[in-house]
Amino acid sequence: MIDQETIGLLMKGVNAVSWQSLVMIGVSFVLFYLAIAKDYEPLLLLPIGAGCLLANLPLSPLVADDGMLQSLYNMGVGNEMFPLLIFIGIGALTDFGPLLENPKFVLLGAAGQFGIFLTLLLALLLGFTQNEAASIGIIGAIDGPTSIYVSGILAPHMLGPITVAAYSYMSLVPIILPPVIRFLTTKEERLIRMPYSSRKISRRTRIIFPIVVIAMVGTLVPFATPLIGMLMLGNLMKESGVVERLTKASSNEIANAVTLFLGLAIGSTMVGEDFLKSSTLFILILGLLAFALDGCAGVIFAKILNWISGGKVNPIIGAAGISAFPMAARVCQRVAQEEDFENFLLMHAMGANAAGQVASVVAGGVLLALMGAGG
Amino acid sequence: MRRYTLNISDREFVVDVQEIDADNFEVVVGGETYQVSLSNDENLSGAVITPGLAPSATASAAAQAHKMAAPRPAAPAAAASAPAARKPAGGGKGAQTAPMPGVVIEVNVKAGDVVTRGQQVAVLDAMKMHNVIGAAQAGTVAEVYVDAGQSVDHGTPLLKFKEE
Repeated sequence: MIDQETIGLLMKGVNAVSWQSLVMIGVSFVLFYLAIAKDYEPLLLLPIGAGCLLANLPLSPLVADDGMLQSLYNMGVGNEMFPLLIFIGIGALTDFGPLLENPKFVLLGAAGQFGIFLTLLLALLLGFTQNEAASIGIIGAIDGPTSIYVSGILAPHMLGPITVAAYSYMSLVPIILPPVIRFLTTKEERLIRMPYSSRKISRRTRIIFPIVVIAMVGTLVPFATPLIGMLMLGNLMKESGVVERLTKASSNEIANAVTLFLGLAIGSTMVGEDFLKSSTLFILILGLLAFALDGCAGVIFAKILNWISGGKVNPIIGAAGISAFPMAARVCQRVAQEEDFENFLLMHAMGANAAGQVASVVAGGVLLALMGAGG
Repeated sequence: MRRYTLNISDREFVVDVQEIDADNFEVVVGGETYQVSLSNDENLSGAVITPGLAPSATASAAAQAHKMAAPRPAAPAAAASAPAARKPAGGGKGAQTAPMPGVVIEVNVKAGDVVTRGQQVAVLDAMKMHNVIGAAQAGTVAEVYVDAGQSVDHGTPLLKFKEE
């Protein structure tokens, strides 16, 4: 017996297709394309694309109340746990040695966060609310987990576009930073050689460093405690060398599993009605601007340092003051070597880059404090 | 195949030994392949190693390489010049040294090769980044001191150019 009602039940899925969901499925294809064909952060963009596709299929049970994607979101994105778990892995992979050898580069890391605040102001002018503006600015940190953490607290409804922007711009670091550097520096400046200074950092210093940073940052910027705490926990495990299994698990297995969960959950927030707004476009553009401004601020500050030091600092390394560890430092090394194949400033750039990593976390905490989050 | 990493006079050598049959081996040292046949095999455990044992060619090369960290134009080095000679030379004539600590991934030249300035001679992995090391000068490579897989410190000699 096939009557109207039966057909209606069978065709429920087809009937529930909306133009928004079709566009979003198209967006997921773009993410797949970027991840697979363009190799842009595939570890994140592929699961995000999958989450987006699965969430936008008509009547998707995955995003129902107890659906898997919704459960993943509640488990680790809504309460900020996933980005924090990722941070343990980042800490376990970050070598703060080059920063400890050249502590003055901490200034470059700080300078590399100016773009965040400039973009925040711009977003306010464009009519975003304070919380939204802060979440857009944090894209400039070019640090996925920090962006997710901050926007998850301040503007959860913008989590999707902000995450996509933060991660896809991370893979644009090699494309965007070199022109920024070349635009702001002269050839003579780029030719400044920065010889490797072999100062050995003792194991004791390396172990004390993460503990001191946790205590200091945690006291000064309490909102940054979760992020810096997990980052430095990972680093402490690495440097202490006594929990190699935990270090390996955090930087490999746990980070990998959480990346998959995080990507899927973030992708599932990208549903038509929330994503297809003009504000998404603004978020993407402003995020890119925040990123470029961060790079500019870093380079300009490095120029000032160079001027003060009497020509000993190559301004290129300022661009490493943005986060995106360690890619930004590698890009700086490549730009320097294009000018002079014998110039190896990688270690200095790594120092500035590690500082940028810490500074972007602190900037995230400062933003949360400014917005009075949680209070 | 067995890979031996030996430390001789503070220099690290990677030796790959491939067993062809019981007494014949193919040994790769520093990119050079040698056919080695084993004529005698004695267990000398308990024997006293005396200085009379002639060091192998590689070992003496190592000792030499160790001293070659800085070029010394005059053969009898005056005692006064010794402290100055300890500083690693950056380019110029003589040895080319590693610009930063890392692991040598590739060595692209061998002794006798003629290179132009800037030509890729090695790839150094530092902070997980592959860095191309360009020849510090144009000329003929006299000797290569490092092998792929070897970790180097800042200032470790990589190769030496013939003085012309």
